[in-house]
This record gives sequence, C-alpha cells and structure tokens, in this order.
Amino acid sequence: MKPLSIPSIIDAASSNGVAVVRVQRKHHILVRWAHWTTIPLLLGLILSGISIYWSDPIFQHPTDATGNFDQAADIGIWLCAHVPGLHHYSSPPDWLYNHLSLGPGMLGVALRLHWFCAYLFMANGALYLLGLVLGGGWRALIPKRGDVIAGLHMARYYSLAPFALLLRMPLFHPKHTGKYNALQKGAYASVVVAGTLVVLSGWAIHKPMQLYWLAAAFGGYNAARVWHFCLMCFFILFVVPHVVLVLADGWDTMRSMITGWSSRTEQ
Amino acid sequence: MTSNNKLLVPHRRQPVDMLDRVPRSEKSFEVPSNVLKHRTRRDVLIFGASALAALTAGTVLLPDETLQRLDVHRKLNLPGKDWLLDRAIDIDDDVAEALYSSNRRVPTYSKSQVTGLKNNYNGATPEPEYIPTWTLTLKGLQSGLTLSLNLRTLLKRFALHEEITRFVCVEGWSEIAWWGGIRFADLIQAFPPVSQAKWARIESSVNLDANGNSDPYYISLDMETAQHPQSLLATHFHGDPLTLEHGAPLRLLVPVKLGLKNVKAITGITFLADQPMDYWRVRGYSRYDGI
Repeated sequence: MKPLSIPSIIDAASSNGVAVVRVQRKHHILVRWAHWTTIPLLLGLILSGISIYWSDPIFQHPTDATGNFDQAADIGIWLCAHVPGLHHYSSPPDWLYNHLSLGPGMLGVALRLHWFCAYLFMANGALYLLGLVLGGGWRALIPKRGDVIAGLHMARYYSLAPFALLLRMPLFHPKHTGKYNALQKGAYASVVVAGTLVVLSGWAIHKPMQLYWLAAAFGGYNAARVWHFCLMCFFILFVVPHVVLVLADGWDTMRSMITGWSSRTEQ
Repeated sequence: MTSNNKLLVPHRRQPVDMLDRVPRSEKSFEVPSNVLKHRTRRDVLIFGASALAALTAGTVLLPDETLQRLDVHRKLNLPGKDWLLDRAIDIDDDVAEALYSSNRRVPTYSKSQVTGLKNNYNGATPEPEYIPTWTLTLKGLQSGLTLSLNLRTLLKRFALHEEITRFVCVEGWSEIAWWGGIRFADLIQAFPPVSQAKWARIESSVNLDANGNSDPYYISLDMETAQHPQSLLATHFHGDPLTLEHGAPLRLLVPVKLGLKNVKAITGITFLADQPMDYWRVRGYSRYDGI
C-alpha cells in the first residue's frame, strides 16, 4: 500500500471544514500485546503461586496453642475475628488462601497451572525484551541522571493533585521530554527488572541443583524463595497506583494502550 | 482538491487502517477526528472480545474446587484441559532432563550445617515387622535372574559412602541431611541390567496410605540419575542406621531429584527399557522431577 502523504490529509481535512485531531503513535503493538497478556498470566501465576506457598509457608513462627505456625494463617484468623461478617467463616486459618489463591491443599494442580502460565510468561517476556532492544524502545525507559530530581517533582505533583482538584487550585504538571516522565520511567523500568528477577528466582527455586549457581546468586535456595515471594508482592503493589493513575489520567492514556494512538501530542 | 475529497467523504466509509499508512517517520500529524474515532471503536471491540475469550479460557483452566468457591457449580472438565496442563508438565520435565548433566555434582555441606529432616511419609509410617525379613529384589538383569539381597550382603559387598546434601521437597521446604549408603552405580556395576535398560522402577511394597492400608509406592528413575555418583542406596542417616520414619533399612537418595523420588524402605528395583509410571504422576504431579 502506498503511504499517504501527510499534507494531503491535512489540506483535505481543513479545506473541507472537517474537524481534525493531532495524533501520534504511542505504543507499539508488541508493547500493547505484552502489557495485556501479562495480566491474566500474572494473575494465574499469583493465584497458583500462593497455593504452592500454602504447602510450605516461608514466613512461620513457632507453633502456637492452636497448632498454627503460618503467619499468613494468622492474618486470616485476625480478619475473621475482627471484621464484621467474617465471624462465622468456617476456616479462618485458610481465609487468605481461600481468597487469594486457588485454595489450600491444591499443590498438584497449582504446580501444573504455575508451569503453564510461567512458560507463557517467559515467552511473552522474551518477545517483549527482544522488541524493546531491537526497536530501540528501551531508550524511553532508561532513567537519566536528572530523573531523580524530576521524579521528586512528579511525586510532589501526584501527592498534591487530589487536593488541588478538591480545592480547585491550579497545579502545573512538571514538564518532561520523551515518552515518559521520570517516575514513569522508574516504575516501568523496574517492572522489566522485576520481571527478569522473578523469572530467574523462579528457576533458582525450581532447579536448585542443576542451577545451583543461580540459587547462590540469590543467596541460596531459601533466600531465592523469599526473593520470589517479595517480587510477587512488588507486582501487586505496582498494580495499585498504576491503575489509579491511569483512571486519573483519562481516556487518552487507556486508549493509547489499546489502539496505540494518542491524541496528546507535544506540538 | 477533487482527488482529496474521496479520502474524506462520506464519513462512514473512512478506512480505519488509514492511520497505519502514515509513515513511521512522522512524529505527529493531523487526521480527521472521525478516523481516530473509527479506529478506536474497532480496536476497543477487538480488545473486548479478546478479554472475554481470555476470561473464558481462564475459567475453564481453573480447577473445579476454585470455581465452586466462586459459586460456579459447573463441571468444566473439558478433555483438552488436562491435555494442555499435561503438556506444560511434559515440557517442564523435558527442560529438567535437558538441564541435567551426569558430570555435575550437587553442592555438599559440612556437618555443622546439617538440619533436621521430618518424617514426610504421605500415609502412615509402616510398622517395624517388615524389617527382619526385608530383602531387596532385583529384576531386569542381564543374567535373567531375579535376585533377593539382604542388608548384610549389600553392606559386605559394597563400600559405604557418605554425603551431606540438600533434600528438596516439591512442597518447597528443604533440609540439609547427612547420609551414608552404597552407591547405586556400584550395585548396577555388580548386577548389570539388561542392555536395553534405560529406566529403573523403584518400589516400596510396605508403603501405607493414611488409613494404614497397603499402598505400594513406586517411581521411575532414569539410568543416568541412577548412575550419578551422588545417588545412594542409603542405609545411614546422621551417622546412625536408618530409622523407621526415614525408610529403614534401605532408601533411595537422589539429591538431583525432588524428595518424592527418594523412595523409603525400597523393596524392589526393576530395570526396564521404557519409563514406568510414577505414584505421584498418577496424582497429577510431574514425572522426571529433576531439580
């Protein structure tokens, strides 16, 4: 197909009195694909992962009077004792596992689902990284020296924005050049790093003998399990502000991750 | 102007892929707003349909017990579901097999690093009655014979080796344990299997289920792992003869495998050309179990 010549579109549009909108490409199809497919895969990995965790909790305390040694179970017991409506919950120690995983006592099926999602997650991640490197998209993600100060300005903006909105006070968005602001760069780059680390720590746990050097790099088998768990927590913690900010930012940001196009241009 | 008009009117016929034809070198440009509108509508519809498909696929893949907790009381056991998850396990087992190297030793530890090891018999621990009459039965030998060996014969004939290795359970826990025993490789050398043997079936006929009923335990072990220098037929644990809960009088110790391959109270070893079934594979776990 012959590329359209830009002036012809603009001329035609303006000369016809048709409303025009300035657009720019924002997210490559690979970025959008990786972004959306990661959601179900990560959800499957977390649900099955917490079921796997149930079979041998990392965070334990000496067995108490009720025979409990699992700190995640303690949280469930506390919730059922203090949250109205949960008082009659049948198995308080399993509350967390019943609500944040496939369920307790399901190690076999959880492992099957975990490997299923993990191989797709890795294939997806490899495709994304390949695109990031070959397409040069990594440049937009790498934080620069001045981004520490710029990041603080952004943090100030984000924390003041709700109040400014309520009080109808003007608050100016700090200026930035490039695709992302300093905080976004930090957040998105750390997702790439965390994604890599979560896969590596997963392999360290999965093959601690053949890949013993990898387990050693994480501080040993037991430490690798803690890494893997904490990295899962990072993803959960990332999602909260990520979704809040997208909703706050508006439709154009959401649309750009679906269609690839943004009508917010620098010009 | 006449030729350009065709591009814009009527609105309904505006090609949604027009945006794709804009050269990548253009940073930003103006388009008729209905082009963006149509494009957005098309992509959001595709996106919504895909999200719905993913949700359906996810629901099908979730186990029934999980769905029941979400108040979905439907049996969604499509035949393809198990097939798909079995492939995931098979791929993972193939990866484990590819990662294995006969030359690689697992890390060993010092006696000060030794930790406890709990009795993780899945069912009841067998009563000690089987021990006085215990023998190890070997089948699938080159000689064509079925051999029964007692512990005295084994200990007299083969040198005892010690190792302190990490024992890793599929559940996630691991312990550092000090083992003593004869090398599986020595036994294989002394009693050569049939030439086409690629697998060993290792079983414990004294294994019990949770109610104390007979529930023979069996695993498959590839010959490479059996001949690994750190694969032992263990007779000692932490310097003393094996106790009942650790699989007296003889248990398999294969530190390159998950704990569930380390059969306690072995009563028989059969060498085979094809991979025999595993107790835990029947119950939905993996089969090669290399770690």
